[in-house]
Formats: sequence, structure tokens, C-alpha cells
Amino acid sequence: MATQENNSDRIALLQGTLDLLILKTLLMGPCHGQGVARIIQRQSEEVFLVDHGSLYVALQRLEDKKWISAKWGVSENNRKARFYELTRKGREQLAEKTGEWRRLTRAMGLILDAGSEPLGEEA
Amino acid sequence: MFKRKRSAEDFRAEIEAHLALEAEDLRGEGLSEDEARWKSRRQFGNTRAAEERFYLRGRWVRLERLLRDIRFGLRSLWQSPGFSITAILTLALGIGANTAVFSVMNAVLLRSLPVSDPANLVYLRTSNPPRGTGTIDSNQTFSYAVYDALRHQGRGVAPVMAFVPLSGSKVAVRFGALPEEAEGDMVSGTFFSGLGVSVPLGRGLSEQDETDHAPVAVLSYNYWTRRFARDPKILGATLYVNSVPITIVGVSAEGFEGVEGGGSTDFWIPLQNRPELNAWGNPTEDGKLYVANPTWWCLRMIARLAPGTSRKQALAGLQPLFQSAAYIGLGSPMEGERPPVLSFSDAKSFPGLEQQYGNPLRILMAMVGLVLLIALANVVMLLMARNAARQREFSLRQALGAGRMELLRQLLTESMLLVVAGGALAWAFAELATRLLGRWAQIEASLAPDKTVLLFTFAIMVVAGLLFGLAPLRTAMAGKAELALKTSTAASNTDVGKSRSAKTIVTLQMALCVVLLVAGMLLIRSLRNLENTPLGMKVDGLVVFGLKPNFTSLQEGRAFYLKLIDKLRELPGVESVTIMEERIGSGWSDNSDMRVDGKLPDVSDGASRTVRNNVAGPGFFTTLGVPVLAGRDFADSDTPTSPHVGIVNEEFAKRFLPNMNPLGHTTGNDNGEYTMTIVGVVKNHKYRSIDEEPIPMAWYMYAQIPIVGPMQVELRVHGDPLAILPAARKAVQQMDPNLPLIRPMKQREQFDTTIADHVLFARLAGFFGFLGVLLVATGLYGTLAYRVNLRTAEIGVRMAIGARREQVVWMILKESMLLTILGVIIGLPMAMLVGRALAASLYNVKPLDAGSYLLSILGIAVVSLVASAIPAARAASVNPMRALRME
Repeated sequence: MATQENNSDRIALLQGTLDLLILKTLLMGPCHGQGVARIIQRQSEEVFLVDHGSLYVALQRLEDKKWISAKWGVSENNRKARFYELTRKGREQLAEKTGEWRRLTRAMGLILDAGSEPLGEEA
Repeated sequence: MFKRKRSAEDFRAEIEAHLALEAEDLRGEGLSEDEARWKSRRQFGNTRAAEERFYLRGRWVRLERLLRDIRFGLRSLWQSPGFSITAILTLALGIGANTAVFSVMNAVLLRSLPVSDPANLVYLRTSNPPRGTGTIDSNQTFSYAVYDALRHQGRGVAPVMAFVPLSGSKVAVRFGALPEEAEGDMVSGTFFSGLGVSVPLGRGLSEQDETDHAPVAVLSYNYWTRRFARDPKILGATLYVNSVPITIVGVSAEGFEGVEGGGSTDFWIPLQNRPELNAWGNPTEDGKLYVANPTWWCLRMIARLAPGTSRKQALAGLQPLFQSAAYIGLGSPMEGERPPVLSFSDAKSFPGLEQQYGNPLRILMAMVGLVLLIALANVVMLLMARNAARQREFSLRQALGAGRMELLRQLLTESMLLVVAGGALAWAFAELATRLLGRWAQIEASLAPDKTVLLFTFAIMVVAGLLFGLAPLRTAMAGKAELALKTSTAASNTDVGKSRSAKTIVTLQMALCVVLLVAGMLLIRSLRNLENTPLGMKVDGLVVFGLKPNFTSLQEGRAFYLKLIDKLRELPGVESVTIMEERIGSGWSDNSDMRVDGKLPDVSDGASRTVRNNVAGPGFFTTLGVPVLAGRDFADSDTPTSPHVGIVNEEFAKRFLPNMNPLGHTTGNDNGEYTMTIVGVVKNHKYRSIDEEPIPMAWYMYAQIPIVGPMQVELRVHGDPLAILPAARKAVQQMDPNLPLIRPMKQREQFDTTIADHVLFARLAGFFGFLGVLLVATGLYGTLAYRVNLRTAEIGVRMAIGARREQVVWMILKESMLLTILGVIIGLPMAMLVGRALAASLYNVKPLDAGSYLLSILGIAVVSLVASAIPAARAASVNPMRALRME
């Protein structure tokens, strides 16, 4: 059913990372869903593939948790769009999740880098 | 802060907004209007799926989905009422028939006695009674002496309990003013405690009661409810049993109806020792009651194994004790006599029922099993046809984004709905059928479906539901999304290979149907044979009733009957009157060895020496219309003081007095105490039942033997036999106002009761055979009609290029004929096997009875012809132009 292009250099998002990316994107200011998708894709240098359906479901989930709030507005090119904004609770969550993510990537890096020297990279 | 829940429309609007924004961005990147719109949609993916996920977020997802599926399923079934009704009715018949037969089988064969720890209870059985004894049942009854020995000295069993009815049918009781009847048993004092049946109201019986022959009674819960409206004040009241005052002391637990097979016992009293309450309601024999008569084996026994004792150990301990006790009062065994051997039989279920109903019920169960198979196959075929016809719907839905899981769920829901509706209807149907069955078979044991039956039905329903959901799945799933694009019905139905499976199913149904038909046919022919069996007498115009007067002396008894016969003879419309001890056609008989010319006769080639005897009054054979071949009938001139005379039948003369004139020879009972001279030989006729084989018989003259007790009165009358009863009742009551006429009925009816089981069995078997045929017919019709429908275009083409109507009809008929022939070929060997299994239930019909087989084959041929005629006619009426234009 998915009609997404299957580009091999794109990586499907890890479970649970989408929430973090959305929160981070909204830190820069209110934005609508399509904008969030574009920003994530562009800032990850087109590596992340955002399933739009999942994105809107995730936005709704975050709204339900009151981490973000939403209201209908008008986009820069005068189109109707639903704009999302971080709440105070959302900012706290972003800080917390970012810390968690840093710890996770550091730990992953420690493990992955530990064995890399004897193997060599190009040899 | 209160916030309204976001609506699905709002979410959809957001997605629309997204698509618009995306398209605009893409246009900004230089794409054309159309390309941009298309690509934005494409990048988004399945918008419906997203909407659904939004919708389902945080809900009772499963329940909601289930309800939605059910609503959808109901709608979809509602849209094709013909299909739904046929499927539900078919299921209801199949499941209902199984539930009904199973609940009877469960009640009769599988259910345990409602006692504690039934696994450790055993009925006592003997291989044979010793020589010179009379029995009720040669394997199941014992003398009081044996009971007494076993209960006092038996090791490994505790206790041994005896039980014996107060009457072969019902005993006269009186509570208040009016005489009535009830079923009563005399039992050991340990009966309730030994079986572990509680007596919630009042008390049970004790060993002291048995020792004292105390006049106390425990009522069954059923009788207490039926007769005394559960009045707790009944304790201490007096119940007159055969005019003996008995005090009611208790009411037993609900559900316990005694250990007598078939019937339910109304009350129990301790073993008695008085002539009014002799075992089986018999008169005393030479002044001896059952307690003192070692030659009368009339008590049934049930025993509880002592804790920690195996059956084998217990039996080994009892065997020598039993074998010596068996000869108490009989003298030592004769040389070469086979000593009786004691054995145990399971007391888990009711005695006698297994023997009587075991085989027929198992056969019926197998038959309804086949009916169920046919019914399930029918519904599967219906579903397959329906789903094949719905392939475009499925394809379309897949194309619109429905997952395969959703389709599967929907199919399963639809079939579950069918099964639930069918099952519910089946349950109602089975309740009714069971009640009818119970009344018909006169099984008094409770037939109400219990948990086991419910579980059984539920299991069938689950299997059916899964089968129906999964079987058609292949057909449904075979439709790819692309198929929706094929616009032609003809094309969309061609690439599925389902026609072969439908044909296979129809062929197998035919085979099963042949089996059902043959079984039904064999049993019905047997029934015809039974019904047309000559009884050897002119049975029409005869009416019979029983009388149980109490006499204080032999003379009083003889005088009573002498006067009674005179009085009845004078009634207008009465042609002749006689009396007898055992009612003919009641299934009961007195059997014993008899001396001929002073000694037990030699019989050649191991034939039995048993003689079935009866006590008869004057004009016995004339009244019955049995031809007297030589000599004479009993007459009024045969009195206590005249020479003692007896009459025998042909079989008696042939076996014991071969090649001689039997008249003038003597015969008598086997201890030589009574001798009579044979004055008549009568033609063989039926005594006990319609299906009995000729057996030696002998008749004593009632006025000349030293016992007189209850008698059966037989009247031959002009006109309606039953019309004489009021006058007869009046005549009897003039002699004794307290005497009811016991079970008055036409003699024909009385004989018919002996084949009632056969009749019921054959009717049911015939009915299930018919049901099978009906189902097969609808199944065949459905399949053919559906196939003709599919082939409309093909038929149109054929006709357009010159096929004639006959050829088209033949094309359809040929197909069904082929299936029928195949089905018959497969079914015949199975039917022969079933016929062999039925052999024991057949009467004068061979298991390979050619007529039954031919009729069955003819029947199925006719059915398949009729079922295919309509589709064939429809095929022939296809208008080639319209068929081709239809697309």
C-alpha cells in the first residue's frame, strides 16, 4: 500500500525518534505539519524519510499529551494550515528527551568505536 | 480547561491542507500543476490509513472494530436474505439434530448416576442362574439368600445393596381417598448411605429399618413435587401401598430418580416381609415370599467397592462365597452343571438403558453426524458461490485500500453470525425435538440438555464457524486488486479453480446421502416387517386390563375370578372373557424348565429346555383366536377338583415330544411338585413381544394351581374394544369398590408397545435419511444453479453458434448425472458397511437387502434429476443475444 519512493539511501525513522524530531523542529517557532516534514527531511540532508501519515498521527499524539498546542492559521503563501507550537510541558520534554538521546548515542558510539581500530577502515 | 475532542473532519482538513502546501512547494520547484498535485499525494501515501489511525487512537479499538464488523456483516447478510435464510436453516437442522440425539445419548448412556463417587459403584451380574430357579433377568437378578450372604460376609465391598420393584409396572397407592399408582422399590437399609444420595428433608433408611421391615418410605424429589407440591409437612403422613400403611419419613435429593433403568422411582421402602408387599407384586409361591424363596432370583444388586480395593480383588473375594450361596436351598449342583459366575458391571450409567438404547442411539448419532456433514458442506458451497460472486466487491475493496486482514475478518464475522444464528435456532429446535423424543421413547430419565450438551453444541458451532470462514477464503483472496478492472463478469469468474472443489463436495454429499438412505430404508423395511408380523391370533377386538385384588385364601381368589368371569360374560357386546397371569404382549414372561412325563426332557443339538409358561383361564385360546390344533381349550369344567390339565404349543410338542401325539402326556414344573396332563396343542403365537421367535410354551389352568393373585382380564367384544371399559369397571367395582382397572388398553396397542423402540428408531432413521436427501437436493440445486449462472455467457455463445436447447439441457443434466453416479459408486460400499453394523437392529431384512439399495439409488437419482431440472431449464431459456449483450 505504501507508495513512498523506496530510495536506498534513506533511512526509516527509528521508533520513538519522530516525537523528538517534531519537538526539536517546533523549538524554532510554530509550524504546520507539512513544514515540519520538510524541515526534518532537509535538515537531515534528505536521509530521514518521514511517513506523512505517521507524522500527523504523531502530532495528534503529542497534542493529546499537551506537549504541543495547535490552532488553524494562514501560511506564508496564504494557505489554510494547522499550526503547532511547543507548550511549556513540551519544552521540558524536549530537554529531557534530548538528554536521553545524547546518552544513548554516546553509549552506542562507545561500543561501536571500541573495536574499530584493529579492523581498520580502508585496509 | 475544557477542550472539545478533535473531529475526524478536522484531521482530514489538515491532510488536505498538507497536500495543498506540498503541491505548492513542488510547483515552486518547477513541476507542473498536475505533476505537483500527483506527487504530493504520492509522497503522502495512504491518507485513509492515517485517518483510520487517527480515528482509532485511544478507543476501545477491538470492541469498536468488532461491533463495526458485526454491523457490516449483518448488513451484508441482510442484502442476500435467500442465502442467509437457507444457510441458517440448514445449519439449524444439522446442528439441532445432532444436539437432540446427543442430549438423549448423554442422558441415557453417558450421564452418571447422581450418586457420590459413581466410579466405585458396580452392578452385580451372574453368568447364569443355577438350575431350577426362576428369574426376572437371567443375568441381573439374584435370590435373597445370595444377597444375604454377600452383604454379611462379602469382603472388599461395603455395602452390598439390593433393590427390587414392588410391581412390574406400578403399584397401587393411596394417599387420602382415591386409589392411584406409583413406582415403588424395596431397597436395603444401606441404600441411601451406600449410594451417597443425600436426604435433605427428613431422614433416609437405616439398617435397623431393613431388619425391622419398618413401614417407612422415602419419596423422590420428583414425586414429592409432582404429587405433594413440595409440601414439607408431608413427613409423618401415611401412604397406603397395596393397602399397607407406610409412614413417609424423608424426601431424597433433587435429581435422584433411583437406579432402575428407564423409569423413575417415586418412593423407596425397606425390604419387606409381608405378602401384600412381595417383590414384583407377585403372589406368594407355596406360601413363600421372595425372602424365603431360594428358587426365585428377583433382586437386583449394586455394591460399593471398599476403599482401596480393586474390582479384581473384590471379585476374587466374592466369587467362592457367591457360588456356594447360589445353591442355598437348591441342593447341590447337578453333575456337569455350569456354576454361575459373578461379575461386575459399571454402575456409572443406568442399568438396562445401554442394552436397550445403546446401539440404536449410536447408529442415530452416526446418522445425524452424516446429516451434519452434508449440512456443513452445503453451507460451505453456498458461501463459496456467494464469495465467488462477490469477487468484484472484494477486488474493489482491496483496490480501495482494504487490507487482506480486514477482508478475512469480515468473512469470519459473517460466518460467525451465520453460525450463531443457526446455533441459536438449533438449540430451540433441539429442545423441542428432545422433549418429543423423550415422550415418544417413554424415557423418564431427565433429558434436559446439560453442560455437556451445551459444550458439544458449542464445539460444533466453533468448528463450523472456522470452516465457513476459512474455506471460502481462497476463493475470495484469489481476486487481485487488478481484477476490479476487468469489467466482464464472465472474465472475472474464469480464472478461479473452484468448480472442481464444488463438484467434489457434491459427489461426497451424494455418497453420504446414499449411506443415510440405505440405513433409513433398511430400518423402515424392518419396521414394516415387524408391523406386519402375524401374531398368531385375532388381535383386533380384544381389550385387556389388570386387576390386583388382595386375597386371604386360595379359595377366595378362585371364587373371585369365577364370579368375575361370569359377570363380565353377561355384559352386552362381550363375546368371550378369559384371564391370564402375565399380560401377553407386555414384554414379560414366566420362564422355567419343565418336566415332561416326570423328567427333564432330553433335547437334541443343544436346544434350550426353557419353557415360557403362563397361567390361563377358561376359553383362553378361543378368546384370543389362537387355533387349537389338537385336543381342546381350557373350559369351565376344569375345576380344582377335576383332573389337572395343561395346554402346550406346537414348538413344545416338536421339541420335547417329537413324532408323538402330545395329548395324554404329562408336564409340570421342574421340581416335580405339580403335574398336569396335556389336553391341547395350539398353534405357535406371540406371547411376550412381536419380534420373538417361536419358543416352547405351556399353560397352566388358573383354577387348578396352588397360587392365585393379580390377573389380567381379556375381553373379546363386538365393536370398539375400549367402549366396553365403563361397563367392565362397573362390574368390577360391584365386586370390590377399591379395585382400579390397571392399564386398560386394546390388545393390539399392548403388542405395539413391544416394538415401540423399533418404531421410534426406524422413524427417526427414516427422518434423518429424508433430511439428508433434502439437504443434498438443495445443495445440488444451489451448485448447479450457480454454475449455470456463471456460464450464462458461455451458454449464450454456444447457442449463438448453433447449439440446440436439448443439447444445453443435456449438458447440465450430464454433469449432475455424472456426479450422482460417482456418488453412488463411492457411497455403496460405505452403505454396505453401515448395513452390517445395523444387522442387530434389523428384523427379517438382510443387511444387503437388494430392494433397499435399489430404492435408495433410485431415490437419489430422482432427487438429483429434480434438483438439476430447474437450472437446466433456466440454461435452456438463456437468450443468446441478451447473454452476450449483458456485458
